Amino acid sequence: MNSTPLVKAGILTVVLVAAAVISWELYVRSKGYDTSYDDDPALWSDKRKMVYEPADKSTVFIGSSRIKFDLDINTWESTTGDHAIQLACVGSNPVPILENLANDENFKGKLVVDVTEGLFFSTSPGNSRRPNENMKYYKEKTPAQQASFHINHLLESQFVFLNKEWLSLGAQLDKLDIPDRPGVYHFHGFPSDFGRVKFNRQEYMTDKMAADTNIQNKVKNIWVTIMKASKEPPASGTKLDSMLNAVKVAVDKIKARGGQVLFVRTPSSGPFQVGENMGFPREKYWERILSVTGCQGIHYADYPAIAHFICPENSHLSQSDAIVFTKNFIKILSEEKGWKFSKPVQP
Amino acid sequence: MVFNSYTFIAFLIIMLILHNLPFSWKVKKINLLLASYVFYAAWNPPFILLLWLSTVVDYFVGRALYTQENKHKRKLLLVLSLIGNLGMLCFFKYGTFLLDNFTHLVNLFGMDFHPAKPNIILPAGISFYTFTTLCYTIDMYKRKSEPVKSLLDFSLFVTFFPHLVAGPIVRPPQLVPQFETERKASRQQLMQGLLLVSLGLFMKVVLADSMLAPTANDIFWPGGAPLKTLDAWTGVLAFSGQIFCDFAGYSTCAIGVALCLGFVLPHNFLYPYAAIGFSDFWRRWHITLSAWLRDYLYIPLGGNRNGKIRTYMNLMITMLLGGLWHGANWTFVVWGALHGAYLWGEKIIQDLRKKPVMASMHGVPSAEVGVLGTIPKEFKAKTFRNFIYAMITFFFINVTWVFFRSPDFHSAWSLLTSMFSSVPKAEAYLTTLSIIKVMVIIVFIVAFHWLMRNTKVLTVAEKMPWWLLGIAWSVLLILLIWSQESSSSFIYFQF
Repeated sequence: MNSTPLVKAGILTVVLVAAAVISWELYVRSKGYDTSYDDDPALWSDKRKMVYEPADKSTVFIGSSRIKFDLDINTWESTTGDHAIQLACVGSNPVPILENLANDENFKGKLVVDVTEGLFFSTSPGNSRRPNENMKYYKEKTPAQQASFHINHLLESQFVFLNKEWLSLGAQLDKLDIPDRPGVYHFHGFPSDFGRVKFNRQEYMTDKMAADTNIQNKVKNIWVTIMKASKEPPASGTKLDSMLNAVKVAVDKIKARGGQVLFVRTPSSGPFQVGENMGFPREKYWERILSVTGCQGIHYADYPAIAHFICPENSHLSQSDAIVFTKNFIKILSEEKGWKFSKPVQP
Repeated sequence: MVFNSYTFIAFLIIMLILHNLPFSWKVKKINLLLASYVFYAAWNPPFILLLWLSTVVDYFVGRALYTQENKHKRKLLLVLSLIGNLGMLCFFKYGTFLLDNFTHLVNLFGMDFHPAKPNIILPAGISFYTFTTLCYTIDMYKRKSEPVKSLLDFSLFVTFFPHLVAGPIVRPPQLVPQFETERKASRQQLMQGLLLVSLGLFMKVVLADSMLAPTANDIFWPGGAPLKTLDAWTGVLAFSGQIFCDFAGYSTCAIGVALCLGFVLPHNFLYPYAAIGFSDFWRRWHITLSAWLRDYLYIPLGGNRNGKIRTYMNLMITMLLGGLWHGANWTFVVWGALHGAYLWGEKIIQDLRKKPVMASMHGVPSAEVGVLGTIPKEFKAKTFRNFIYAMITFFFINVTWVFFRSPDFHSAWSLLTSMFSSVPKAEAYLTTLSIIKVMVIIVFIVAFHWLMRNTKVLTVAEKMPWWLLGIAWSVLLILLIWSQESSSSFIYFQF
């Protein structure tokens, strides 16, 4: 083969690929996208390895998407002087991660467990899939994967189009509205303005989402569809007892090593809140977590400073409300729960 | 390290720079060897010890086998080498499987035996490098080729990173001579190599991981609900495409990476979904393994030299062991048995037509020579009749994938039932988008295989206008970047 045509083809390829990437990058920036990290097992593992930091300098958070949206990590860290390690997983039951930390003899720190009852008391394997994948990756990660993670971080911090959840080929195809056969559930994904992920794994709602009721309604409809699709009744009786016992066993292990565990119920509103209160009455679920484990707890409804929020799509706080929530959450921890931080918390 | 990762891209750039610096050939070979160890250790560092052990033992045993004149001592050395290599493979790959089966067996006879589950991790690529070193010692025993002159060259032959983890399985005559004189890729080879790497990554990342794997995973779900026929077939076709794009993608990358450094590795795939008949399939699918099994198992068993009955038995034994090579599960054995049965059927038809096609079984592996001989001339033409034969072959191959991918026989049977009958209370599961994606890609793959079945990618690339090749190459890379799939490992790593 004469090499010249191949070289010419190679040069044309470089030019076309560069042109396509630059055009796509400029286009997505013009559409208001900004940097968002892939919240994959590699990012989770990067945070998981931080849980051994001294207990008086850091706090670990586990739960589902609410604590990822509602805890503003910049506010937490600037107010307390402590590091916030976010290990919550969206749409997931946090108990597998709680047990993972409990079984890790080297974890002796402070732990905040976010409770979204529909997920916390779920036995559906789908709700544990993401935590299990993350923990498996953390346990088995290879040096090559760690190196790739750092290169990926560098690229994701520079290129907005590197956004797997909203802008990848698969995500774009999923947006196509193609009719399905009866009985088939097709999740088209959340609206792309719903949220962005920071490198510290905090998620935040975009300003467009917080302002646009059309987008909010789309997300509300997704919640309704998910709730209707869920065939799992709220746990009760011996099943609930055994779940709570498993949580107690895990919490006791952490406490026995000098660790500290606190449960938090973050805000929800509208029909979501009504549905949760009906399906998971507070006295039967939330109160029992606290009584069985003997842990402290903060339920948003008990504190006027964090009880007044309206979640734009009924389940998560907007970015500005997350800052207010975090400030008040820290105050409650400091003033009412006796938590100590590196920096004194202003009354 | 996997080819579809940022780490590998950085690694390859460093290797290309090092390989083109004005070092002596020996220094360059040492660089390649050290890089190959880094490549392997980046996956699981402790297992590099096994690789060293296998290399050193087989190098010295191989030399002794070649030079030793005493027949008994030579046999003893060969047996020691086989026990060493196959023993290591058996322990790591089949240890748990053997123990499980032994436990089942003794429990059947009423013994209450429940041993602790051994927690054995399979070292990446052990099946591949064990076969590479085995063929060297067997060749030395038969004095088919000269012993490798230096430990450095032998280590590089075993460990050369493009083929180390998932093949192609190379023979000493294919690679060792390339280490004897200085190799540096010409500009043409470099561009060809980069084109093949792009194509391999496109197959793996875009087609296998992004488009096909989710559908295959949804359908091959253990204990899943009964499926409608359309869903079952879509899932099987998705896996059919996934396994090809995943494994052929790896091989294409491996050949491309080696070419970028100036080395030529053997082909491993030649458009298998356009195969006409099952022996043609094995001339086109995982060629270096089927050639290995032919030369080091089928022929030593007697091949077709000891009558019809023995030929049939040898075929079946070869395919059963070939199945077991893929994984420690009875489903893989059944997969091999099905292929064995297909080859039986084909041989019966050949015998009835009284057109036996005998092949020369000597020399290095060739795509033209399968266990049933060379490709009949009439099957080389791209006629409509041959296309129908190819589709019938493809149909039967898909049935075998059910056993290959299913975690257990219950799941396999349930899926087969859904594929070939209307199951009461079966659920529609897959979205229309998933079905469209799978069907479009499978039609594209089959058509591509049919059109390309008598040629090669680089030959076609040579004939294309440069601007058209540039556009096609760009499309591959743009889709690759756009898919944003994470660096998942290749399916054949687990074998």
